[in-house]
Amino acid sequence: MHTSLDDKEITRELWQSRLPICFILSDEDKSKINRSESPEPLYLMLARQSYFPCIIEKLHRYYSTYFKENLNDTTNYVNFANLWLEYESIPLKWHYPIGVLYDLYTSSLSSTSSYLPWQITVHLSKFPESEIIRFLDKESIEAHYMSTVKEADALKHKGQIIGDMQKRDHKQLWNSLLQDKYDGFWNINNKLMSYTENLQYFRYIPFRIYILDKPFIQKLFSPYDIDEEKWMTLNDLLHFVLNHEVQCEQLTNEKKILNTNINDYQVIIHGIQPSLQTPIQWLSEYFSYPDNFLHICLIEKRS
Amino acid sequence: MSTIESDKTESKTVNFDETNLSPTRPSGDSENDGKIVFLLKAAGGAPILKKKKWALPRSKTIGHIVEFLKKYMQLDVEQQKQLFLYVNQTFAPAFDTTIGAVNDCFNSEGILVLHYTFTPAWG
Repeated sequence: MHTSLDDKEITRELWQSRLPICFILSDEDKSKINRSESPEPLYLMLARQSYFPCIIEKLHRYYSTYFKENLNDTTNYVNFANLWLEYESIPLKWHYPIGVLYDLYTSSLSSTSSYLPWQITVHLSKFPESEIIRFLDKESIEAHYMSTVKEADALKHKGQIIGDMQKRDHKQLWNSLLQDKYDGFWNINNKLMSYTENLQYFRYIPFRIYILDKPFIQKLFSPYDIDEEKWMTLNDLLHFVLNHEVQCEQLTNEKKILNTNINDYQVIIHGIQPSLQTPIQWLSEYFSYPDNFLHICLIEKRS
Repeated sequence: MSTIESDKTESKTVNFDETNLSPTRPSGDSENDGKIVFLLKAAGGAPILKKKKWALPRSKTIGHIVEFLKKYMQLDVEQQKQLFLYVNQTFAPAFDTTIGAVNDCFNSEGILVLHYTFTPAWG
């Protein structure tokens, strides 16, 4: 597929894109502070491509100071494992990229048209066990990230490229993401974006489709139609995925059937609405998140 | 303490039994009332299950299967922490991934194989 050097700049723009986020302690947790002043909102600029667990230590340190003085209390009120984030009553999943959570929930749920800074409520108690997984340690988000990269490579190249890499290359991907090193990341990621088996495209495109209140959807989709000799577009992918998912739903007698009309959705990747005619191979190479997946949010338009 | 995600309507199915995760007749059919048929295989020295072939509705998650295995295999607390479920012998999907999504991308000739292990075998 024809691409130019300038296209590479897009990956740098996406890498640099940040969201201003305002963290506010929940009223319930505020009431347990035994100091006269309660915490000011905490403002952070966070990379869309990053994950909340990467800043959990910062949150923990910030709130710990407000609970420290209670020396008689040995229960250590601010406990990592109990910390969770909430937006509009939805507990935020630790393992989704920050940009995906923002695109999916602010567009779907916000009552105002201006969402920035993104206001997130921090909870230190009453963990919603049934809805999200606890954040255990920094290693678990790294393991999740690497596992997702491996899954992407299984789809793109039968896992050949990630399999040939050294352990230190894997480490470099994650560490570059943590330390915001674009060049260090792409030195390795370029290999994951190459082609194998004499193809000029990936075997299958790693993508996930997010729709509010549904588990994400993932299917096999080839970016090139050999019979028709044509590049498949974002529109082709969405059309295939929605219709295939509806067939599955009908088979299992689901009550609420998915809306398959693409025009009824806003299609958002990285906060942007790309043209539906964009070839999906190009999107996969330039618009994927660092985990090598295209995370596509479908926001049903309100009528 | 449960670390598994399940949607609210199903919170009562924590006592996962075989009506939820049912062994199938060995018919070889990949579709079974719209359920996904899959094989659970041991790896890395994990104990082998008598029943290998199972079926689940598409909407059930990897987390459901892990939770089921913890109870079914009567694992102790340490083993529970170490239980991993792998697809393709290469990656461990997030717990909120549905079995439908895994099947649509990674079944091989109509059959989906999941490996469970107590060590990060293909980490």
